[in-house]
Amino acid sequence: MSQSHKDILKLEGVSKFYRTRGNRYRRGGGTVVALSRVNLSLRPGEIFGLVGESGSGKTTAGRLVVRLEEPDEGRITLDGVDITHLKGGGLRDYRRKVQMVFQDPYQSLNPQMTIADAVAEPLITNKVGDPADRLERVLGVLDTAGLSPAEDFIYRFPHQLSGGQRQRVAIARAIVLEPSLLVADEPTSMLDASYSAQIFEILQGVRDQMGATIIFITHSMAAARYLCDRIAVIYHGHLVEQGPAEAVINSPSHPYTKALIDATPKFGRCEGVPTYGTYLPAPRPAGEQAGCPFFQRCALAERLLCSATYPEWRQVAGEQVCLCHFAAEGGQSPPPPEECRLGG
Amino acid sequence: MSVQQATLQSLKAGRRALWRQRLAENWRVFRGNLLGKIGLSLLVMFGLMAGLSYIPPLIDPMYHPMTGVDPLVVKSTGPSLTHWLGTDFMGRDILSQLLAGARVAFMVGVSAAFMSVVLGTAVGMTAGYLGKTTDTLLMRLADMIMVLPTLLVVLMLAALFGQLSIWMIVLMIALFRWPGVSRVIRAQTLSLKQRPFIDAARVAGASHTRIIFRHIMPNVLPLAFLYMTFRVTSAIVIEAGLAFLGFGDPGTVSWGMMLQWVWKTGHMFTAPYWLLPPGICISLITLSFYMLGRAMDEVLDPRLRDETQAG
Repeated sequence: MSQSHKDILKLEGVSKFYRTRGNRYRRGGGTVVALSRVNLSLRPGEIFGLVGESGSGKTTAGRLVVRLEEPDEGRITLDGVDITHLKGGGLRDYRRKVQMVFQDPYQSLNPQMTIADAVAEPLITNKVGDPADRLERVLGVLDTAGLSPAEDFIYRFPHQLSGGQRQRVAIARAIVLEPSLLVADEPTSMLDASYSAQIFEILQGVRDQMGATIIFITHSMAAARYLCDRIAVIYHGHLVEQGPAEAVINSPSHPYTKALIDATPKFGRCEGVPTYGTYLPAPRPAGEQAGCPFFQRCALAERLLCSATYPEWRQVAGEQVCLCHFAAEGGQSPPPPEECRLGG
Repeated sequence: MSVQQATLQSLKAGRRALWRQRLAENWRVFRGNLLGKIGLSLLVMFGLMAGLSYIPPLIDPMYHPMTGVDPLVVKSTGPSLTHWLGTDFMGRDILSQLLAGARVAFMVGVSAAFMSVVLGTAVGMTAGYLGKTTDTLLMRLADMIMVLPTLLVVLMLAALFGQLSIWMIVLMIALFRWPGVSRVIRAQTLSLKQRPFIDAARVAGASHTRIIFRHIMPNVLPLAFLYMTFRVTSAIVIEAGLAFLGFGDPGTVSWGMMLQWVWKTGHMFTAPYWLLPPGICISLITLSFYMLGRAMDEVLDPRLRDETQAG
């Protein structure tokens, strides 16, 4: 926290609730907590991974950052400027700096728009350059996104491209304004594995060449390990562990992180390697609860302590912090054998 | 700079080529549809009739569909060399009336359908995009208008205000026939609004106006266009019904009007050469617009295409 003045993006105590509407028969609506008091800070030029299972709130976090939605509590700042409740012109200026790549490339491009129009759209809405200027930038950015020769792609419609090509178009569209922050929401979950590696390389290139900070949202520990500098693990709207990608994945400390790693398929020589076994197959509780959010599904939980008291952040090693009553400095698990580690 | 300009030119050319390619593709699907081919040929025939309707009055004033009376004829006569389809009760040429009727049918059908589709699309998109109170108000209004029996209401209005001009009838039909279109367009807008490319447009900084006109409208227009062909049918039928019942525009010759004259002058069972042509024309033109609509349906919705032709 000491170098907080250098952080590009900060989320402070950000919560987001969704109200479910009641109807005539099921009186009254409930509240679903999508994010609960999340604190995050991103350093300029890093690739930050947000890892969690389906419905853990990781996409919500991304949508809050690009302000597709407004948080119910807390504050989001970019370069020290509060953007939590920006509207109108301020929001438009903000969106010049923050762009997003969506999960499904089959859905995130307008089927009636040519590639040239789709990629140029951010330039047009932000009144950048004249048509010739914009075309040049579109061609350049398509090239950066690995679609070359770019001239062959600009007259096509999305349905004439493959999934991987569409996702490259979506990335090109997101980086055409040269944003300082890019949110990539599971950009590879709809693609073949062979495309994923290429998309990762493009994202790395965006970081290295444009100096953009990237929030990489994923459910895959291996992808996070491969691409990210730091990662945060999110469960049911709560951050539970945060730290350098290498440390969090090779020597996880939170039971949930361990469960996620257990859930990753392992092959070959690693079949005999013991798992952490921290996961209890129990249903995920629907509402908010007083104690640890992972309590019902945690094999290590002690009923009295964990069900009643919300855990505190504890430092495990260096920058690795963990939200668990049982985490202790140096208490992280030893790394598995070299050949069985995730990623590469 | 010149290189840039050249690329820009080629982009424009490429875009035009793209649209041509798209049209050609759609035309190929359309051509593969038998109903569509029949419908289109019939419509071309009616179109020719409408175009030819200007010729008979030029040949001889007695062929004017409304005012031209053959001085040698005093009662309805059957087909002859001077009057290919015969004459009506006061010696007017039936063929020239039939041709003029095609012109009126197209005019009424297309303009009423166009107006109701424009109105319906605007209302549907507004309701779907804005949602909440606007949606409720507009859709309840649509419901109220939708349950009104159009023909009956227009009849009552005609009875109240005397004879309506043809354009008043067109306007009336348009005003009563938009709710169906608006419901469909609203549903489509609602589903489009949830699609990620709208979110993507918002992130790209697009304004509401831009989202509506650049992202939602191009995606609902094919559907609106499809509905237009079906609306043409209903507009023609309503106009014919009104005219037959004696509430049409007395200054125009429409097929419904011709039927009314047959009936009113008691030639219903004695002059088939007078009764059948307008009757057949009304049936055929509505049928052909319907068939055209069905074929367009297939062009616009790949799921309806014949699997063997895919690829």
